[in-house]
Amino acid sequence: MSETESPSAEKVASAMMAPLSESSVARISVRTAVILLVFTMAFTALMAGVYQLTQPILEKSALDAKRRTITEVLPPDTYDNDLLADAATLPPVKALGRDAPTTIYRARKDGKPVALVFEAAALDGYSGRIDLILAVSADGRMVAQRVTLHKETPGLGDYIDPKKDKNKQQPWIKQFDNLGFDTVLGGKWRVKKDGGIIDQRAGATISARAVTNASGRAVLWIHDHSARLFDLPNGSQWKETSP
Amino acid sequence: MSQLRNIAANGLWNQNAVLGQMLGLCSLLAISTSVVNAVSLGLATIFVMGMSSLIVSSLRAFIPYEIRIPIFILIIAALVTVVDMAMNAWLRDLYLVLGIFIPLIVVNCIVLARVEAFAAKNPAGLSAFDGVMMGVGFVWVIGLLGAVRELIGQGTLFSGIEMIIPSASAIQILPADYPGFLVAILPPGAFFVLGLMVAGRNWLDYRANQRIHAQRAQQSAAAVAG
Amino acid sequence: MINNSPYFRQPASVRGVMLKVLAALLPGLAAYVWFFGAAILVQLALCSAAALAGEWAMLAIRKKPVWLFLSDGSAVVTAWLVALTFPPIAPWWLGIMATLFAIVVVKHLYGGLGQNPFNPAMAAYCLMIVAYPQIMSQWPAVGFTDFSTQLTAIFGPDRHLDAITMATPLDALRTQLHTADARATVAGILGSHATFGNIGGKGWEWVALGYLIGGVWLVRQRIITWHIPTAFLATLAAIATIASLANPAVFAGPVFQAFTGGAMLCAFFIATDPVSGATTPRGKLIFAAGIALLTWIIRTFGAYPDGIAFATLLMNLCVPLIDMHTQPPVFGHKKDEEEDKKGP
Repeated sequence: MSETESPSAEKVASAMMAPLSESSVARISVRTAVILLVFTMAFTALMAGVYQLTQPILEKSALDAKRRTITEVLPPDTYDNDLLADAATLPPVKALGRDAPTTIYRARKDGKPVALVFEAAALDGYSGRIDLILAVSADGRMVAQRVTLHKETPGLGDYIDPKKDKNKQQPWIKQFDNLGFDTVLGGKWRVKKDGGIIDQRAGATISARAVTNASGRAVLWIHDHSARLFDLPNGSQWKETSP
Repeated sequence: MSQLRNIAANGLWNQNAVLGQMLGLCSLLAISTSVVNAVSLGLATIFVMGMSSLIVSSLRAFIPYEIRIPIFILIIAALVTVVDMAMNAWLRDLYLVLGIFIPLIVVNCIVLARVEAFAAKNPAGLSAFDGVMMGVGFVWVIGLLGAVRELIGQGTLFSGIEMIIPSASAIQILPADYPGFLVAILPPGAFFVLGLMVAGRNWLDYRANQRIHAQRAQQSAAAVAG
Repeated sequence: MINNSPYFRQPASVRGVMLKVLAALLPGLAAYVWFFGAAILVQLALCSAAALAGEWAMLAIRKKPVWLFLSDGSAVVTAWLVALTFPPIAPWWLGIMATLFAIVVVKHLYGGLGQNPFNPAMAAYCLMIVAYPQIMSQWPAVGFTDFSTQLTAIFGPDRHLDAITMATPLDALRTQLHTADARATVAGILGSHATFGNIGGKGWEWVALGYLIGGVWLVRQRIITWHIPTAFLATLAAIATIASLANPAVFAGPVFQAFTGGAMLCAFFIATDPVSGATTPRGKLIFAAGIALLTWIIRTFGAYPDGIAFATLLMNLCVPLIDMHTQPPVFGHKKDEEEDKKGP
């Protein structure tokens, strides 16, 4: 790092007049380093201060966001336990379309099982994977489900997400509310085009079919394992046994 | 006084960061899907620009020329981080919508350009004013872009305002059964509308020039006649 | 040496060329009306009127000789291509908006006849499929030709679409391949479904044949050269053959690809647009092959019904590059390219 690299006109001029001695180069280097260090420390301190100030709020709002998502599929007055704390972890379950471990939250009222809240995925959307969050009651009914992440064609297949659904009064996804596992068994948990009872929108059947079939599979699987899922010790890992 | 007016005119029109210099287009095009998103990002940018210009200008005596760029970036990045954390804490929904584009203010060339070109050479008050004015120039462009795209795209204005003011709600401008025009919301719409805005600015400047020429011609004709 | 498009130098002859292009569309149009009803004629009329109105307004604003350019027929050709690539039962305003976009924005804002870098009809198609994917996917069922019902679909108020729409062959094939049914194969789907005909889509294959006949006539009339249609169809067929040989269960064969969707229309009437396409003979081959390749990719892996519009626009973007690298040697220099002798 020689001084002459600096394009500053006056410094270049002074360097030309009298070459800097080695000791003054060293002095300038140290001075520059110290200034940079001071600036870095000052602004790092500023960031650290703001971090300290906002961190508790951040943790709270992350929890809030999770709670809000869950509230969309399961009304909070239906249970009285601390849902987020009453959780167990499942290994990747094929029937749920998951390739990563799934956290399953157990809602209870007066200690009795009410519903299970968990994530599932449809892998055969028009543009790939569609992530879902579902609440399934202890007696095998869908309480509600929402799409949490998808890449369906804007304006065509994205009506599966009620935020994008043009029909605000009767969003498509609400058709599943209160459907029981027996609908799956009876072969009616399908889009109308496939002989079921779920409406699809003209020109965009694939997204609807993907969500419908994935949630049907999920509801059936959850219902089949409902008792065991509720009995799992808190925070424990579920080991899949042969059915 | 005329200096202030000059700074304001530069920021708002003559050297407008977007329409004049075509800087900061990445976040501009990505975020201008609605007025609320656009103006929110714009306000964050104003804050960062004003503050960074103010700080750089007040500390410019202590910033060695050789390491000015790292220090500028350090200051801008620290301010952006502060904005980022504050929005995450207090305006979380909005923060999730704006996402990566808040941190990206750091690399928005407008900010560094103004700090380097103006704040490093001018007194603190003027510099802060310049930063804010450049930011306001960015805001009105991105806000107008957002308004046009939102209006054409979904027939509303201020959708998403509830993320900032919980009691407010969007204004439906076009009839409720307006089918929407999705392209306006998608990236191509951003390019179309921005292109038309740049064309509009050039057209206005062209007309203003024509007028000045006409006036001069008149004056010289009058001078000859007199 | 720069190959000008033949247009601008002799505006008088443009009219004759355009009339022949319109005439060449008639066989395909006849098949269209036979299988899908007269709704398409309504759309042709709407789009033509919109095109002439838009052209007139823009020429007047730009202070160009209105009647000279208006009567050259190029706007009507654009309007017909818009109408023929849009669903015939689309609401009336869709075709009008699309045609106005094609004429006003894509043609005139980019400099008018002979200057536009993008194919106006295809740009309009892309705009509308992105804006209204649902409407743009509502194609009439083959054989359903009841004109009054179609008129209701076009002009409203109650469109009753479920009864008269049907998936297009390309869509039906993709939808069923997408279904998580492991037994679905191309052969099985094509054999079973009401949408599919002998070699392409039911009805659509005859429309495509009509375009083919009209297109060959255009080549014989020297309105278009053989390069683009041949390169387009040969490339599409080649890719489809390779893919379907590699995995016949998943990829449809060459004949199906060439006789469904807009392939034939693209080969003879869209990719051959002399303004937005490549101008050198070798460039035309590369240009058309590129469209075919992109079309196949978008049809097979994309999310939208057909790929010709996006493929055409993408290749339009490459035209300056293609033209620059395929300029024939200047006269007097060594001639080593056979292609040059066949050039126009």
